[in-house]
Amino acid sequence: MHPIVTASGTFNPEQITRVVFQDFSPSTIRFFYVIGYLAIGLFLWNSFIEIRKYMRGKKNGSFKISCLVAGVKYMFSVLLTHRTLRRRDTLTGWMHAMIFFGFSVLLAGTSIITLQYDITAPLFGFKFWYGYFYLWFLLLMNIAGSAFITGLLYMMYRRNWLKPPKLDYTRPDREPNEYDRSSYRHEDWVFLWVMVTIGITGFLLAATRIIWLHDDPTVWGLRWWQPISTVIAYTLMHLGVNSNLAHILRNDLWWFHGLLALTFIALIPRTKAKHILTSAISLIFKDPMAAQRLPRSNPDEVSIGYSEITDFTWKHLLNLDACTKCGRCHEACPARATGAPLSPRDVILSLREFANRTMESQTLPNKAELSVHGKAVDQVFMETLWSCRTCMACVEICPVAIEHVPIIVQMRRKLVEDGDMDPILQKTLQTIHKSGNSFGESKRKRASWVKKLPFEIKDARNEDVDVAWFVGDYASFDPRNQKVTQSFARILKLLNIDFGLFFEGESNAGNDVRRVGEEGLYELLAENNIEMLRKSHFKRIITTDPHSYNTIRNEYPDFGGKFEIEHYTSYLARIIGWNQLTPTRKLNYTVTFHDPCHLGRFNKNYEAPREIIRALGLNLVEMERTRDNSFCCGAGGGRIWIPDVVGMEKPSQNRIREAAKIKDLEIFVVCCPKDLVMFEDAIKTSGHEGHFVVKELIELIAEAIELPTLETAVS
Amino acid sequence: MKILVPIKQVVTLDEDFEFTPDNRDVDHDFHIYDLNEWDDYSLEEALLIKESNDSPIEIIVCTVGNEYADESLRKCLAKGADRAIRVWSNELKNTDSIGIARIIAHIARREEPQLILTGVQSSDFAHSTTGVATAGILGWPYAAVVNRFEPDHDFTKASILRELEGGLEEAMNIDLPAVITIQVGINKPRYASLRGIKQAQSIPIEEATPDSLGMIDSEIGESGSASIIKKMFIPEKLSTAIIIEGTPAQQASKLAKIINDFKGV
Repeated sequence: MHPIVTASGTFNPEQITRVVFQDFSPSTIRFFYVIGYLAIGLFLWNSFIEIRKYMRGKKNGSFKISCLVAGVKYMFSVLLTHRTLRRRDTLTGWMHAMIFFGFSVLLAGTSIITLQYDITAPLFGFKFWYGYFYLWFLLLMNIAGSAFITGLLYMMYRRNWLKPPKLDYTRPDREPNEYDRSSYRHEDWVFLWVMVTIGITGFLLAATRIIWLHDDPTVWGLRWWQPISTVIAYTLMHLGVNSNLAHILRNDLWWFHGLLALTFIALIPRTKAKHILTSAISLIFKDPMAAQRLPRSNPDEVSIGYSEITDFTWKHLLNLDACTKCGRCHEACPARATGAPLSPRDVILSLREFANRTMESQTLPNKAELSVHGKAVDQVFMETLWSCRTCMACVEICPVAIEHVPIIVQMRRKLVEDGDMDPILQKTLQTIHKSGNSFGESKRKRASWVKKLPFEIKDARNEDVDVAWFVGDYASFDPRNQKVTQSFARILKLLNIDFGLFFEGESNAGNDVRRVGEEGLYELLAENNIEMLRKSHFKRIITTDPHSYNTIRNEYPDFGGKFEIEHYTSYLARIIGWNQLTPTRKLNYTVTFHDPCHLGRFNKNYEAPREIIRALGLNLVEMERTRDNSFCCGAGGGRIWIPDVVGMEKPSQNRIREAAKIKDLEIFVVCCPKDLVMFEDAIKTSGHEGHFVVKELIELIAEAIELPTLETAVS
Repeated sequence: MKILVPIKQVVTLDEDFEFTPDNRDVDHDFHIYDLNEWDDYSLEEALLIKESNDSPIEIIVCTVGNEYADESLRKCLAKGADRAIRVWSNELKNTDSIGIARIIAHIARREEPQLILTGVQSSDFAHSTTGVATAGILGWPYAAVVNRFEPDHDFTKASILRELEGGLEEAMNIDLPAVITIQVGINKPRYASLRGIKQAQSIPIEEATPDSLGMIDSEIGESGSASIIKKMFIPEKLSTAIIIEGTPAQQASKLAKIINDFKGV
């Protein structure tokens, strides 16, 4: 073995280590072990209680064992890059990374000592924790400890001085006197103080050891391998701490540090610290399709949806515990932002409190006490569930893969089953069942907009076409949208695209019916459409409606309907610049673009509409909330069929207000039929009429290629 | 105890439709079927009575119609009706509301319900007679256009409110068994989820015929009816509405001209 040569002497590497339990009597060491085992025992017991809680849920239908490897990879990639934690809160994300990596290294370091002292040395006589390995270990632990403490101090600063509103735990679904969240705040602070104290005492332990053993050249001579501890040691010596005092101090600190750390470990599964485990596991089991594809109901079950807490899948129960109360979903939610009694965070936290209250004990309470619907402080109001726009802003931003919207829709399924819904929504669902569309028009009228066109359109149900166009309800029946629909048909014609329609064969695609929670009706609509699409003759489907696009693309495959479908923006983006679609007129408008939830967040199509906007020569100015942070128009999740509360700002008005901040804005561009309806209404009701206008991207394309108006074209 | 709820599958029409060649009905291709709105309320009332009573109550829904009517019966079963009876034979094609009442009366004699709850009227033909005619045939008391119904505990009497013209209400007591025709608004009909309707597919619907109910020829179809439809047509427009456009001054002069033309000045 090569000796270690340093400025202060030459050492035998085996001497360079730390004597564990130096100067401890055998009885105190035994005492410490008893405490240690007790802590591990408590940790396991507490973990058992939590695991038993999750096991009381249903099995997770969407999960396959084959996904496990990918899930673990995903979890590590998220943890190592911290990419989901840095979003929309970069500094905090980095600071969390410092705590995370600091904690991980410190934990690994302590485990390495245990590994040698309790396992490899007594069992195999194998030692490795000495020499250069030990010295690098010291340096790394010093760096990790500093990162850990810095991160924690920043979090304290953030909570106490920055006070971001998303951390104040105000619930929009309850009056201030109806709930008490002070325990959350206490726990936050205890958590921070315990960890920072463990960190600081760790440094003090190292520093007092340097002073105590300053006569030992293997300690003093190599002290700069732990630079921070050494600086602290010098400071302490300067303050009059000598070798004897340091020894006494170290002894007391050792017990304090040790007991605190062991208590922390014992309580991990039952406190805020559990997120260390639950968030990581939640990431492993992340459903990559959680946003765009809702879970199927089990046809064998008597009831549907989430009525009792035991109806939840174990994964959703784990989701409840994975929440770190970071407030990103609270901030992103359009319902919350406009004063509706819904915060995705509070739905999750209420349900978590409920699960803990009812499912942590030995036996489950009776069925009546398991219902998650109701007015108790840890239950969820019907009004809260109906406030959701299923825009997926919460699911999309959640750093730990919590599925707020699938949980809300599962709970809505139960409400729908019981008829607990707005009478107008009930009427609409009956209308859709009866006539296949939400407008209550007869099927025959679905394609009545084609009558004004100067050409015939093929029927894809019995003629071969390249492209079949699934029009969707709003684009078919809404008079304002019909004009856009006609323009799009004429653009396709101009491009000599061989296209067709399904005419009265088409039913409402069901996307929003499913998000309302009327799963039975959704299944009926999906099955009708799939059967009709199967019998038709086309190569691919296009649509102007992001809602239809989403469900046909992502949800129909679960019902046996696999079709290639494209939103018109990506279809046209590919062929723009070709022959007839070359813009002949440069449009000089200043515009902004609203990403439809179902196109952007759901299906990650952010670029195609922007490519078209740029190709048309428009001056695009983005709004503050854009792309994945796009702010829902308020129509999603069936909310277009539920009247908004009078006197409250609508999400669409909030969005228009945001757009109005753009200097000299002329056009608010949308590419979704529902957006067109919602924002044209909002522009009038929010007092911005005359300042700027809402236009479908199709209308701007028509203008840029100088498509004559329909009246001129016909005559 | 039983409650009988006779329902009707009504027809709604689009703007465009055609008549049958004999001009006695709308061509069936243009029929859009739905459960009569009033019957939603009478069924709901029966369900509410059942749910608020400790003693078991069986709710029987019945209708007269071909297999298309099963859809409406299933909707009722999905909401919580216990049993469904559909009466049909080709002889019943031109049966009016009195003829239907005869069939319901036969069902009532067989099932012996303590109460018959029907809608005040059907939204397509609006005769408002089926319920009261049933009571007449059975010789039972009846109350029409009822908007509150409260049976006593042993179901021998009920106190009711009837909706009269001009916002008036009439309170009365009625002996049971009786026929009550229920007005819309008496309750809030529940939603039959599609899942519920699908699950109701497994509940069998009893298919009865006038024969199986023991009806004699003079009671069946046109013979049992008090009226026959001679002709169905779209009435001629008697007046037209016009929208007067222009500036206020122009509108005023146009309006003055119309008035003068009308007066014949």
